[in-house]
Amino acid sequence: MKLSLSCLLVLLLGTSAHFAQQTGPGSTAGFPGLPAGRAPRVEIPFNRLYPGEELYAHFDRLVAAYPDFLSMQVIGHSVENREMRVYTLNAPGTGADREKPAMWVDGNVHGNEVQGGEGVLYLAWYLLENYGTNERITDLLDSTAFYLLPTVNPDGRANWFEKAHNPHSSRSGVMPLDRDRDGLFDEDGPDDLDGDGSITQMRKYVPGEGDWRLNPDDPRVMERVPPNDRGIRGDWILLGQEGIDNDGDGRVNEDGVGGYDMNRAWPALWMPDHVQYGAGPYPLYWPEARCIARFLLDHPNVAAVQSYHNAGGMILRGPGAEAFGSYPRRDVAVYDALGKDGEKMLPFYRYMVIWKDLYSVFGGFVNWTYERLGILSFTNELWTEPRMSPDGKLDGVEDRRHWFDDNLLMGAGFVDWHPYEHPLYGEIEIGGFRKDVGRVPPTFLIEEMLHRNAAFCIRHAEAMPRVVIEEPSVTELGDELRAIDVVIRNEHLIPTRMQLAVDRHIGEPDLVLLEGEGIEVLAGGFRSSRFRPEEIQLQDFDPARLVRDAGIGSRAKLRVRWIVRGSGTASVSYVGEKVRDVVREFEL
Amino acid sequence: MSSSLFAAGLGLAALLSVPAPPRVSLANDDDPLSLREHAALRESMAELAAAHPDLARLELVGTSRAGRAIEALRITAVDEPRDVPGILLVANLEGTRVFASAVALDHARRLLEGYADSESVRMLLDANVVWVVPRANPDAAEARFLEPRAEHLASGVGVDDDRDGRQGEDPPADLNGDGLVTMMRVPDPDGEWIPDPNDPRALVKADPAKGEHGTFALYPESRDRDGDERFGEDQPHDGRVDRNFPAGWQEGEAAAGLFATDDPEARALCEFVLARPNLSLVVIYDGPGNLVEDPKSVADDAKAKQRIPPAGWLESDAGYLKEIARRYRRAVGNETEGEDDDAGTFGRWCYEHRGLFVLCADLWELPFGEASKDEADGADEKAEGEDPQEEQAEPERKPSEDAKRLLWVDAHEGEAWRFVPWTPFDHPELGEVEIGGFAPFARVEPPAEEGAKIARDHFAWFTTLGSLPARAKIVECTRERVGDGLFEVRAVIENSGFLPLLSRSGRRTRTTRPARLKLLLPEAGGLVAGKRQVLIEDLSGSGGRFEYTALVRGPEGMEIAVTLDSDHAGSDMRTAEENQ
Repeated sequence: MKLSLSCLLVLLLGTSAHFAQQTGPGSTAGFPGLPAGRAPRVEIPFNRLYPGEELYAHFDRLVAAYPDFLSMQVIGHSVENREMRVYTLNAPGTGADREKPAMWVDGNVHGNEVQGGEGVLYLAWYLLENYGTNERITDLLDSTAFYLLPTVNPDGRANWFEKAHNPHSSRSGVMPLDRDRDGLFDEDGPDDLDGDGSITQMRKYVPGEGDWRLNPDDPRVMERVPPNDRGIRGDWILLGQEGIDNDGDGRVNEDGVGGYDMNRAWPALWMPDHVQYGAGPYPLYWPEARCIARFLLDHPNVAAVQSYHNAGGMILRGPGAEAFGSYPRRDVAVYDALGKDGEKMLPFYRYMVIWKDLYSVFGGFVNWTYERLGILSFTNELWTEPRMSPDGKLDGVEDRRHWFDDNLLMGAGFVDWHPYEHPLYGEIEIGGFRKDVGRVPPTFLIEEMLHRNAAFCIRHAEAMPRVVIEEPSVTELGDELRAIDVVIRNEHLIPTRMQLAVDRHIGEPDLVLLEGEGIEVLAGGFRSSRFRPEEIQLQDFDPARLVRDAGIGSRAKLRVRWIVRGSGTASVSYVGEKVRDVVREFEL
Repeated sequence: MSSSLFAAGLGLAALLSVPAPPRVSLANDDDPLSLREHAALRESMAELAAAHPDLARLELVGTSRAGRAIEALRITAVDEPRDVPGILLVANLEGTRVFASAVALDHARRLLEGYADSESVRMLLDANVVWVVPRANPDAAEARFLEPRAEHLASGVGVDDDRDGRQGEDPPADLNGDGLVTMMRVPDPDGEWIPDPNDPRALVKADPAKGEHGTFALYPESRDRDGDERFGEDQPHDGRVDRNFPAGWQEGEAAAGLFATDDPEARALCEFVLARPNLSLVVIYDGPGNLVEDPKSVADDAKAKQRIPPAGWLESDAGYLKEIARRYRRAVGNETEGEDDDAGTFGRWCYEHRGLFVLCADLWELPFGEASKDEADGADEKAEGEDPQEEQAEPERKPSEDAKRLLWVDAHEGEAWRFVPWTPFDHPELGEVEIGGFAPFARVEPPAEEGAKIARDHFAWFTTLGSLPARAKIVECTRERVGDGLFEVRAVIENSGFLPLLSRSGRRTRTTRPARLKLLLPEAGGLVAGKRQVLIEDLSGSGGRFEYTALVRGPEGMEIAVTLDSDHAGSDMRTAEENQ
C-alpha cells in the first residue's frame, strides 16, 4: 500500500475518530450481543430473508445512518442488468481503504443460497453499530477496511424469490443456455403444475409395481423398498420435480432457466464445461463474475476473503481439486488455526478441504482468491439441519424435518400430497417441502446463524497482518561505520505474504526502506541469526531498499541490519500490499 | 544513467552499422503482400469490402488493449450465410507474424477478385461463408512498423519479472542506434555460452559434462536501468495474446496473462466463435502448426487423470486431420511446423473446448542451410560415415540451429540483412560488448519471391477447404402403407462433406449441436412408433448415413414430411414419397 502521512498521524495519535452513539432513552450505546438496555441506531429485522431490492434498501439505510463509514459503488451489472453493488466500510479519519488491509465478503453466488446476502448485511450492520463503543470492533475498523458485496447473483436471487422453486433450484444465473442441445433455450424447466408457488415432487400410485412405499406412521414420508427376492414391491413410484415435457422431446425438465454455475467460473484450475459442469465457455464468462474479478485484481490490499454459501454447516477451504496438489504447509497452519476457531464459534460446522471432504470443484471463487491472488479465503456453508434439534432427539432427516415443521412451523413448510391429472403420467400426486425449507433456516434461527458467521468473519479480519517496527538499535563499528538493527514484527496470524504467493510470484514483494539525509547506506540485508549479527543475507545492490518477497510470516519477526556511514534523523519503513505501511523515525 | 557514455555509444554504432532494408515493402502500395500498418490494413480491408459489396462486408471482432479495432472480412456468395458452413481464417495472432496478415489479406483479395472467373473460388463461396481476420493481435504487430524495430510477442499485462517491486523498468532497447533491437554478448567467465565451433557467430550453451566452460554472457540489447546487474530482464508487457486462451492455459506463467481471456483480443475472438454456431473449420496463419507432423493424439476414450482429460487430438479426429495435412503438404510443400507448444493458444481452445476442426499452418521459418559436402561427411552424418573409428577420433559439436540458419543466410544473395554481425560497443555498465545477432523478424519473414509463392500456394489450398465441412441432406424420404391407415416412414440422412457432422471432440465437449431431425404430421395424423424428434450426432464424414424410421397412422392422402436442422451443416426438408 502507498504510504500516506494522514494515516500515519492517525496511528500516532490513536483513534480519535470514536464518536458518541445515538441511542434510545435509558439504553447503553453499542449492540455487541447483550440483550438488555440497548437499541441499535438502525433497526433491521434479522428474522427474514429479503429480495434483492429490499436487501439493497437496508444497505442504503445503513449508508444514510453512517455516511462517513459506508459508501456504495456499482462495479458492474448482471445479465438482467441488476446492479452489482460493493459497499466499502471504512472508518473515517483512519486512512483510505486502499491503504489498509481489507476483507472481502460476498454471498449468494448460487441464486438459491440466499441467506449469504443477509449474512453480508448483518456483518456491515454489526460492525457499524459497535464502532466507537466496543474496543475490538473499533480497533478492527481503525486498522482495516471491508468490501461487501451482498449478492453475486442478483438475477438468481430475484428468480428464487419471485418464481416457483424447490430448495435447490435457481442456483444458476439466468443467461439462456441450450442445455439439451436441441437448438432451443431454457424451454423445458420444471413447472408449478398446481400453481401453489412451489416446485415440489410428483408421485404415482402403481399398486404392486413400484419401488417406494409410504411410511405407515406418516404417509407423507416415502420410503424406498429394499431390493429383495421375496416379491415384495412398493405401490408408488417417484416421478421427479413437478413438470411436464414442455418441448415434446420425450424428456421432462431437462432444460430450465440458465444451467450454469458461477462458482465454477474462476480462473484457478478452471476446466471447461465437459470436465466441470457449469463452467461456461471461458473463465469469468458471466458479467457478474468478471466485474468482481476486476475489482479484486484492482484491490491488492484485500487480505481476507469470505464467500457465503448454503448449506450444510461447513467452513471450506481449497484445494478444490486433487490435481492442484496441496497448499504450502505454512499456509495450511494459518488456515487450520482459523478453521478450528470457526468450528468452536459455529456449532455443527466442520472445517473441511473442498475436494477431499466435499467434492471436486474446478474454478471455484475461494480457490482463485487464494491460489491466484494469495488471499486467505474461506467459504462458509450457512445453516445446517442439526440446528433444528441440537440435542439429537430427532433421528432421520425426513422424520426430523416433518416433526420440526409440524410442531415449530405449524406445518407451514410442507405441501401435503394432493392429486393432479398429469398430461403424460395421468393421475398423480404432488407434494413436498417448500423452497424455504432445508437450505435456509426458519425465521427464528436466522439471526443466530448470521451472528455466528459474522463473528467468524471478524475473527478472520482481525487475523490480517499488522506490522510494527520496534525501536532500532545502533552499534558503533568504528571508522564512522554504524550498524542499525531493526526488528519488524507481524503481530497477527496471517502473514504479510502467503507462502503460496511467495512461491508463485503473486503480487508485489514487500519492501523495507531506510532513509535519512545524512547517511550513506553501505550494505543491508536480513539477519538469519539472532545471536550472530554478522550473518546477513546481503542484498547485492540498492541496500537502502530491501526487497522482501517472503514478507513476514505468521506472528513472526524480521531482523534487518544495515551498515551505514553518517548520522542524523533516519527512518525505517515497511511497505507491502496487504499491510498498512509503517514508518519509524530514529536518531542516528 | 551516464548519458554522455550512452550518447557516445549511439554515435559510434551509427557509423559502424548500416541496417539492411527489410525484404518486404512496408508501404501500402501496389504490392499485395506488402506489410501494412494497422491503419493501412484497415483501409485495405474497407476498400475490398467496398469494391465487392455483393460478396464482402466488414465485421468488428473486438478492440485491442490499446484500442485498435480488430476486424473480419466476411466473404460469401450465399444470401443467408447462417445456413451454410463457416470457415474462419485467423492470422497474426502472434505479434511477430505480420507476414501472415499480408497472406490472409491477399487470400481475401483473391477470393473477391477471383469469384467471377475461378471455378474453385466459386465452389468455396457458393456453399460456405468465409471470415478472414488478417490481424488478430494489432498491438503487438504494430511493433513491426516502429523504429527501432523489435520483435514484440507480448502486448498484455506486465509482471514484475525480476521480483524487485518494480514492473517493466528494465526493457530491451536499441543501444547502438542501428534501428534494431538485437542481442549483446559479453566475454564473461560466469557466462553460460560459447561460440559454436562450426560458426562462431552463433552461440551455444556450454556443456560442462563435455569439458566445456562458458565464456560469454548473452543478453538482449539493453542497459541495466534498475541497477541490479541484470540486463533487459523486465519488459513492460509480458502477456501474449496467443497464450491467453483457456485450453491448456499456463496458470502462473507471465506470458499466459492474469487469467485466460484477460486480453481483450483473446476474449473478442472467443466471443466471435461463440456467436457463430455455423462455424465448421478454423484455419490459423501462423503459429504452432499441425499440418506437417502428425498431431499428438490420444485415444477417444482416454481416461482422465485426477479428473482432467489428457490433452491432444482425439484419435478419430486426428485421422481426418492427417488426411487434410497430407493434402496440405502436397499443395504447398511446406515443411515447417514452428513451436510444439500450443498451451493457451486460440487453436487449442477451438479444438479442445469447442470441438472445431482446426488447421494451423506455420507459413515460413528461416530455413537451415546445407553444410558443404566435405563438412557434412566429416562432422555429423553418422549414417554416411564410412569409418566410424575415424569419426570417434574427432568428436565435434554438431552445428547448432543458429549455425545452420547462418549457412542458409550466407548461401542466399541479398539475405545478409538477416544477421547483424557482432559489432563492438562500449556499454555504459558492461564496458566492451558486442551487439548483433539475428535481425528482428529475420526468422519469420520470407524473401519476397518465396513469400509470393507461399501466398499463392496457400491460397490454392485454401480454396479446396470448401469441400471439407459436413453437409447433411435428406437423401431419401419414403412412406409405405403397411396396413389400414398405417404407414412406415423412412428417411436417410447423408453427410456429403469430408468431415464428420460432429468432431469427436465436439461430441465430448457438447459444444457443437447435433442435427435435429423432425417428423411433420398433419393434425389428423399420429405417431404409432418411433420419435418425433431425433438428435443426430454420430454421422461420419465422406458419406456417413443415418436412417430414421417411424410408424404413423392417418388418412391415406395425408402429407408426411421430415425436416433436418443443423447449426453448421445446412438444413433440409423432404416430403415422404410413396414407396411403390
